[in-house]
Order: sequence, then C-alpha cells, then structure tokens
Amino acid sequence: MTAMRITLGHLYPDLMSTYGDRGNVETIVCRCGWRGIATDVIELRLGDRIRADEIDLIVIGSGGEAQQAMVASDLAKTKGPGIRDAVEQGAAALAVGTGFELFGRFCQPGDGPELPGAGLFDAYTVRRRSALGGHYETPTEARADRAVGELLVRCGDALLAGFENHSGGTYLGPTAQPLGEVICGYGNCGDGREGVWLRNAVGTNLRGPCLPKNPLLADFLIRAALARRHAVADLLPLPDELEQAAHQAAVRRARQPVRSVASRAASIVLDRSVRRPGSATAPRRRTVGVRRGKGQPPDGHAASPANDGASERGLRSGRGR
Amino acid sequence: MLAEVMQAAGVHPILNHEGSNQLPGLTSTLLARSGPSGRLPADERAIGLFEVDEGSMPTILPQIARPHAVVITNIFRDQLDRYLEPDFVTGMLERVLRKLPAETTLVLNADDPRLAYLAAELKNPRLYFGIADTAHDRAGPDPSSDSPRCPRCGGELVYGCVFYAQLGHWRCGGCGLSRPAPHVEAAKVELLGAVSSRLQLTSPTGETVLGVPFPGLYNAYNALAAVAAAIGCQLPDSACLAIEHCTPGSFRMERVVVAGHDVYLVLAKNANGFTEVLRALLKDGQPKRMMLGLNDCAGKQPDTSWIWDADFGSLRGAVPAAVVSGNRSADLAVRLKYAAGLACTDAATELTVEPDPVRAFQFALGGTPAGDPLWVVSTSVVLRQLRRWLRRQGYAGQPWRDQPGAAS
Repeated sequence: MTAMRITLGHLYPDLMSTYGDRGNVETIVCRCGWRGIATDVIELRLGDRIRADEIDLIVIGSGGEAQQAMVASDLAKTKGPGIRDAVEQGAAALAVGTGFELFGRFCQPGDGPELPGAGLFDAYTVRRRSALGGHYETPTEARADRAVGELLVRCGDALLAGFENHSGGTYLGPTAQPLGEVICGYGNCGDGREGVWLRNAVGTNLRGPCLPKNPLLADFLIRAALARRHAVADLLPLPDELEQAAHQAAVRRARQPVRSVASRAASIVLDRSVRRPGSATAPRRRTVGVRRGKGQPPDGHAASPANDGASERGLRSGRGR
Repeated sequence: MLAEVMQAAGVHPILNHEGSNQLPGLTSTLLARSGPSGRLPADERAIGLFEVDEGSMPTILPQIARPHAVVITNIFRDQLDRYLEPDFVTGMLERVLRKLPAETTLVLNADDPRLAYLAAELKNPRLYFGIADTAHDRAGPDPSSDSPRCPRCGGELVYGCVFYAQLGHWRCGGCGLSRPAPHVEAAKVELLGAVSSRLQLTSPTGETVLGVPFPGLYNAYNALAAVAAAIGCQLPDSACLAIEHCTPGSFRMERVVVAGHDVYLVLAKNANGFTEVLRALLKDGQPKRMMLGLNDCAGKQPDTSWIWDADFGSLRGAVPAAVVSGNRSADLAVRLKYAAGLACTDAATELTVEPDPVRAFQFALGGTPAGDPLWVVSTSVVLRQLRRWLRRQGYAGQPWRDQPGAAS
C-alpha cells in the first residue's frame, strides 16, 4: 500500500469543544494511524479560510452558547463557501451539537439576534429558551428546558448510540435527509428524526463523544475522506472489542426504562409565544419541547437546494447519500 | 485546611463534609449540632465553614445573613449534564454575589480568568491568591483547558505561563485586561513526590514556608485559598501553619493498608481533576500500579464525555498495569486505548476491564508486586463501594476523622 494521507480540518478546536469533542478528532487520527494512514490535522480558528480542495474531512464539535455566537458569522462568511464546496466535492464532515446547529441555515439562540449558519444543511434551529426570553436562575430551571440523556438512533441497519444535551430544536427542510430515526431520546426536535445526512457529511446531536463508541460512523468518515483523496475505499478491519463493548453498553443504557431526571424534564410541554424580534418569518405560536411530539417546521422557510440525489446506501458501504 | 487553621486560631468551625454540600446536607449538618430547642449552642467563637456545591449557591448563600467571606477556587467544566457550561455557572455565581452585603470579602483565584473579575463592578473587598512560580509552566496550552475568553471584552487570552487548564498568568490580547496581582502568592511550589508539597508564601504580612501534606498544584491552590480565606476572616497568619497537620479528607489520597500494600484512594471526578491527580501521582517518574474507575450516577450524572477532555498522556510508560472499573469502565477503557495507546497489542500497560469495583480491586491487588503500593483513582461511586467492602473486611478502620480539618 502506498503511503496514504488525509487532511482533517478541525473547526474552532478552542471554542467548539466543550463536551469532549476533541475525542472525535482523536478517534479519527488513531484509527487512521493504526491502518498506516497519516492524518494532517489543520486547526481552523476564527479568521482562517477553508480551501475546499485541501480538506478531506471537516470536524466541528459542540461549544457553549456563548462560543456558538462567537463563531457563527465567521463560520457563515469566512468558512461557509469552503465547507459547502468541499462537501460538494465529496469531502466528509462531522458536525456535532451546537456545531451541527450552525451547519444549518440559521440558529435562533435563547436571547440575542439570529445567528447565521454555514448553509450546508437544509435545516435551522430554534433554542427553546427563546420561547421564554431571558436567562435561567438555577440549574434546575435551565435543565428543565433541555433534552439531556442517552440517544439511540437507527441508521439503516446500524444503531448509533450517544448522549444528547441540548436546548435547541432543529427543524429539517424538505430537502434534508435525517441521519436516522430516534429509537430512544429526543433527537432533532422531538419528531422522531435525528441529525442530517448529506453526501458524506453528517450532522448530529450525538455526543459522548460519538465516534469512539460508534466506530462504524468513524470508519464511514475515514473511508469517504480516503476515497476523495486516494480513490480507494478499502479499510483494514481493526480489533474493536473495547469500542463494541462501549457501544453495546450505551445501547443498553438508552433502552433502560429509567431516563434521567433531566431528560424527563425535557419532555415538559412549553407552549409560549415565540419572541423573535426582527424576523419577518417568525411563527406566532409553536409547541416546543414535546418529546415525540410535533416537529413541523413553521411556515416561511423555503427549502434550499442543498441536497440533490441522495442515495440510499448506508454507512457500511462507504458512500454517503 | 481552613478548618485546621481555624482550630489553631482558637475559633470553632461548624463545617459540613464534602458530599453534603447541597441544601439537605448543610441543613442536617446544622441540625446535628443543634440542641433540642433547634438552636445551635451559644458559642462566641463558633464560625460556620461551609463547602457549597456550585449549583446550590443560589439557594444557600442568600440564607447566610452576613458571610465574612466567600471563597471561589476555580470554575472548571464539571457535570455539564447538571450545571451546563462554565459560562452558565459563571453568570449564576455573579448573580449570587451581587446579592451579598458589601462587606463580605471575595476570596478569588487570580490565575483563573473566569474568577478574577467576577462581578467586577462590586465594591466588596477582594483578596486574590495565585501561583507565581513559573517553573511549573506547561509551556503551551493545556489540552484540558476549555479556553475561556476575556471576561471584559471576549477577546482571546494570551498566557505568559500556564499551570493547568485555564489557570496561569493570563492577559487579554484585545483589551489588555490581565491577572490581578495576588495578595497571597506562592513564590515557589516544590512538589514532593506523590504525597506532598512545600510552598514559599508571600502574603500582606510577610513571607513564610508552608508544608502541604497533599500532592499536586491543585492542592497548592487549595492551600493558598485557605490562607487567603483565613486572612479574609482576620485570623492570625501563624495559624496557617496548621495546614501542615491536615489529614487527608475522604478519598483525598486516603491511605489504607491491605495485605501489606499501601492502597491510596483518590477521588477524581472531572476532566481537570483526573488530569491533575494523575500528573501529581506520576510526576516522580516511579512506575505505579493503578486501578482507574469511572461511574455515572444513574439518572443524575449520565454524561461522561469529560473523560475525553482529561489528559491521560501522563500514564504512558508510567503504569505497567491498570485495571479499569465502574459501570462506565467500557467508556474509560476506550478512552485509555485512544489516549495513551494502552490496550494496543504493543502497549506497555496491561489493561484489564472489570466493572465490579471489588473484583477489580482484588485483581489489581493480586497483580501488584509484594509491598508495592496500589493507587485507586476514580469517581466517587466506585470508591464508596470499595471502601464499604474494605470496612467490612476490617481494613479501613479509621479512614478519616469526622472532625474539623478533615475536609481539605
């Protein structure tokens, strides 16, 4: 085998890595290394541009809400075109949590103006606190407005397991394909769908971080990155006993009937007026925060032509949709 | 440590223990000290010394009428599933501090950019503590830092020196805001093996050498906080030397002798805790046998993603055998595989996964050469289960004194 090398662009490693997200990058680097594939990790910070032809795999993690606001316009303006081009050319991408939210078209935070997104996914996010306005006094109050707990997703014939901890409801546009179907947990907005899958790009609420205990997803991304750079998609199998044990343990936890206090709180129905100053397309009223409830996007958000010709092949085949 | 100082100064601290640092625990602490009338016995020299869980600050602090001082040591990522992000905790603490009487002294870590200017507009007296000794510079950002921004302008911070996580000699590259000059400062920190340290202290009243019977920079910060708090409470600084006589609190390097082995029980419950405990233990370069534990509290703290923010690099080559335990041992094992190259075929560490803490302990002890110590570093549930078993076996007779001075 000739020396193979892929380039991983890690977006905002300092700001968007609150939830152990660097574990996803570490997983890619290790799993490549064990197969003799070198990984160049390029850290892309505020102000850095993305050269689409240079990057084979884009990773963005989940930062806090303040960090999300800090990077939003940089992501949309400086990096957005490069990200969209790279994915169009076949590059792989993984966007998690608040990073996933920003890969959509926009995100309405709890307070403050709407944040622009990178526009890769035909999706947008409304944070539930925006229905309440203002801040939380105590952690209990804050937790009640979040989906916190194990998240289990069926993706084709595979299961993906992880942990969710988010207060945003992410609504998919008509051209967006979900990553999978929620088996346990909340997912995008309680409509039974989780994440977005566009070509070789995956957006998801799965934290934990997700790649260490979902080696299938990690290898899907590696295979896609490798196919783009070297036109090969064969990966040596790795001994994954520890990873599979962690995966199965996560699946068992998710299937336990007792969910956390916090996630039960997330199922409280909040039906308040949504205050969205300055938005002409603001829905007047919406039911938010219902587990397995209605997840219809409000009117006024037309589809963007982001997703053309999604194939139905799954994670295992090495080609995205 | 502060309780020990108070005792030496002749005041009588009424304190709660770690684990009872929320409202119910604090209430029961006070009730246990009260007489049948429900009042605390009259004692002019009594002082309340409460360790308060950060999430309970909004409910507990307003109930204390005139606190002498509020000590905050750091704001790290911890229990994201309960307390959300550090920015939320920071904002919550600021709102709590704004309700304090103006004479309450704020004792704050100057080296933590999240803390130094907490509620900066308040007129309350501030006492800063910090470390000056740049010999402990990590020479670069710590992977376990979550990179807070400037508390004033949100700009990027630059560091002249990083001790660990976000703690160090910081300055804002944007507006120039910088670490305030500490009132209580460690000019020199000598880390003495895996069990203790020695500080050269500078304080408003002079210079002194302080022995700290606990390892690591994190305990140096704890000692500095205790000294600063004692000054904030107008205790004589000679009393601070009493810190040398502290005994380890529950699971704070608690030692139990089992079958001729010294067994140390060490609590590590967040990314920075795990990182610093391991660095402190392994700094002397001596190979160590370890049992590492990770558990979640069912329904309470299910998120263990923080293990990916902890730096396990210090284990590489320093631990010939490790046993991984706890109900999340599978996650920890994967973390170690990816972090330290442990669990790979050519790895220098023999890794064993055994979720049951007692069986894991027996296995780890059996593999430890005669007379060698065993270090158990873990989150709390594994340690509690293990100690319960050790007590039943008659080993942990007097694990820690239920007296002032025990809570370090």
